[in-house]
Amino acid sequence: MIIRGEVCVGCGRCQPYCPAGAIHFSGLKSEVDRETCLECGTCLRVAICPVDAIMDDPTAFEYPRAVRKVFSDPTAPHIATGIEGRGTEESKTNDVTGRVGPDSVGVAIEVGRPTLGMGLPDVQKISRALARAGITEIEPCNPIHQMYADESTGDLRADLMGERVLSAIIELEVKKDRLPHILRVLKEVAKEVDSVFTLDVYSLLGPDLEISKEVLAALDSEGFPWRPNAKINVGLGRAWEERRAS
Amino acid sequence: MTHSLHREGTIDSLERDYCVFIYPARGFNYAGSAPKIRRLAELIYTCGAANFCPTTLRENMYSEVATPEEVLASIQKDGTRVYSTWNNPEKLKQLLIKMKEADEGISIVVSGLIDRVRVMAREIGLNPHTINMSLGIHGRTELLPPADIRQFTTMCGHAMVAPGLVRNSLRRVKTGKSTAWDESIVLAKPCACGIYNPYRSEEMLNDLAPVYAVSRW
Ligand code: SF4
Ligand code: SF4
Repeated sequence: MIIRGEVCVGCGRCQPYCPAGAIHFSGLKSEVDRETCLECGTCLRVAICPVDAIMDDPTAFEYPRAVRKVFSDPTAPHIATGIEGRGTEESKTNDVTGRVGPDSVGVAIEVGRPTLGMGLPDVQKISRALARAGITEIEPCNPIHQMYADESTGDLRADLMGERVLSAIIELEVKKDRLPHILRVLKEVAKEVDSVFTLDVYSLLGPDLEISKEVLAALDSEGFPWRPNAKINVGLGRAWEERRAS
Repeated sequence: MTHSLHREGTIDSLERDYCVFIYPARGFNYAGSAPKIRRLAELIYTCGAANFCPTTLRENMYSEVATPEEVLASIQKDGTRVYSTWNNPEKLKQLLIKMKEADEGISIVVSGLIDRVRVMAREIGLNPHTINMSLGIHGRTELLPPADIRQFTTMCGHAMVAPGLVRNSLRRVKTGKSTAWDESIVLAKPCACGIYNPYRSEEMLNDLAPVYAVSRW
């Protein structure tokens, strides 16, 4: 994002809206720090500037800087998934798609969340740690998949290493018995990254919202407490498009 | 997206904070979904959501960019997703009863306290299918804003509500320049999915403002 210095009247209203803290006074006017800005679009979207001094940086749509926008602006669509947002549809439509079955568990590593964002070198620390541990089941429709240079090593594209994103989701879908191994890897790599990630698991429910015993045992054995609030697909969906309906 | 999964705060406060999503699935039930989604979105309106946003508009219900009729009329495209937030469990239950009766076949996701949703599902006769559980935040958590600020910022899971904006609102409420409700509408604005709960935010601003130290009057 850029602020047109010749238009800005230096009221400072835009500054607290920036999640990255990228807008500062430079003399009497506000200025965006290009390195810190994640191109999330918030300052422009909230339309707070009284003189319309804030505008899109034309280079925000050019590779490699464009990854900032697609992984930081929730209204920017991803080409791979066709949906806006940071991931695929995960558990949300699982009653219709059957993507995660009874023997499987989905794992989502939400890098940079909440709030801090993450540099791509840190994302690579996670992708490499997963690859080293033999965990290569990265969801192919996940937008982050396009950043991989080599799935077998977890290397991301070298030309992205100077970029930062507010949030990107590494999604895996594995057999339940692999969950403890994955959690152990993530526990270790959490000590190496210079930012944060949130972690979540999704699996099928039994009657009366019974959570999979295998999943709970894995969380218990690896020392991962889960939060009391969750996202629950209440089972009202069904497929009707012929090519996919079974 | 898991943008409603990591909402933080006390259990008491989360008792009045739920999200409901309408999610069609590409390739499975997209075709012909628009009228169904619109009917479900009408239920969200009439049952009294605390906030609401279809992906056709990307503006929450307090943005005043459209009347409720215009918001609903905007849902004309197959595959539109609808996000909503609820501060009253009883209203949420009524919504789910009506959604079950409507039987439109589109996936519905409820985000909130697991135990509450379990009881509600049992009472209504729903059979929840899949759960997405949050295992919390990992890595350099010492860099995060403090928990009292995060309970506001995590109401927008895409992190569009800046910690500095929350502090600004606390300062304005504390110094009598604005009300907790008006500031909650300010805080709801950056959340492009309409899942920031302004009622819960108002409660939390009123709770925190008296004890919050301000550096600037
Ligand atoms: S686009 Fe986002 S990160 Fe960049 S200056 Fe605006 S609010 Fe800050
Ligand atoms: S809101 Fe507009 S005029 Fe005010 S400081 Fe920001 S860019 Fe300048």
